[in-house]
Amino acid sequence: MKAKETFYHERIYPLVFMFAITFFCILITSGLYLTTRNRAVANELSFTRKAILEAANVPYENTAEGIGQAYLENIKVEDGYYIATNSEGDRFIIPVQGPGLWGMITIMAGFEKDLETFSGVAIVSQNETPGLGARIEEPWFTAQFKGKKAPFTLVEEGTSLFDNEVDSITGASRTSEYFRNLANRASQDAKRIIGGGK
Amino acid sequence: MAKNLIRKTFLEPLGKNNPVFVQILGICSTLAVTNKLQNTMVMTLGVMFTAAFSSWTISLLRNHIPSRIRMMVETMVIATFVIIVDVVLKAFYPEMWKQLGPYVGLIITNCIVMGRIEAFALQNKPMLSLIDGLSSGLGYAYVLLIIAFIRELLGTGSLWGYRILGTWWTNWSIMIMPPGGFFVLAIIIWVIRETIMKEAKHA
Repeated sequence: MKAKETFYHERIYPLVFMFAITFFCILITSGLYLTTRNRAVANELSFTRKAILEAANVPYENTAEGIGQAYLENIKVEDGYYIATNSEGDRFIIPVQGPGLWGMITIMAGFEKDLETFSGVAIVSQNETPGLGARIEEPWFTAQFKGKKAPFTLVEEGTSLFDNEVDSITGASRTSEYFRNLANRASQDAKRIIGGGK
Repeated sequence: MAKNLIRKTFLEPLGKNNPVFVQILGICSTLAVTNKLQNTMVMTLGVMFTAAFSSWTISLLRNHIPSRIRMMVETMVIATFVIIVDVVLKAFYPEMWKQLGPYVGLIITNCIVMGRIEAFALQNKPMLSLIDGLSSGLGYAYVLLIIAFIRELLGTGSLWGYRILGTWWTNWSIMIMPPGGFFVLAIIIWVIRETIMKEAKHA
């Protein structure tokens, strides 16, 4: 009798208890996940659209509605790239993905109609070191590609002069290199994918 | 008597039993999320919420949890509350969620949360545990906010994203980089221990 009770307390009860707790916790979290999923998906879409607008250098109001409106008015989706209609001529935006230091970096790269001059760069996702490599998300870093032409050379932070030079991030040389490679590749891709089709 | 106990439970983590500068817990996030006041605020609210409710939940269950699997149960409960924070942030504050990145998820391993459960919630009544969790979160929050205040102000010349110092100010970039966190935290711990806590140390 006693052995049986110990067996129950030592083996069965903890197992059942853990099972019940896990069940409840999963019930709560998945319920919450499902109820907010639509919102999360909408946010994700809005974020991608914002990156496209940013790369195309199209002005927009920074709200969910503002982004949606500016996107629908200005952006046309093509096979593998986007076109932003503009009074000075069309701009072309392509998504590019490449390795970073820790994971993949995905960016939207925008080009003027010559397919060489960058109209902007925006980051869709990255997993670089917070505080170091992740500083590629800072506006000054992405903004410096605007109006410049690949292939790029990296120089020390705050010293770029010519339109093929970009500042690297102090303390994040490797991430800067990966990002430069990505921007250079974006330029090649633009010529191949968009230019080649003409 | 009961009132005194509540008072004591609430005040201890704010002062002489502070999780950050006395127990030196939760240092990882203290260093990581204190370079912008706004992020720090959200992060500390997340920790307060998680610490308070997981302490409360564990305390409710404390007489039923088999002691050999208690850590698993604790982790499970903490993770649930953290996921709630994460999912809510992702749905309603996506920009903030992107900026905080992995740190919200890392609240699960924040030593303060589990530490308070192990040290307090397992022996005390639910309401008292809730207060203890909440005020441990508060004790963590105000120290982090002080650090973030110093780091953001010196590092970017702004507070809460708004420019405070004029153009004459040269940003101390190191302040918003990881070393800045170490410097400010160390200085704060030193100052508090040498001034306010000096009597307690000798006693």
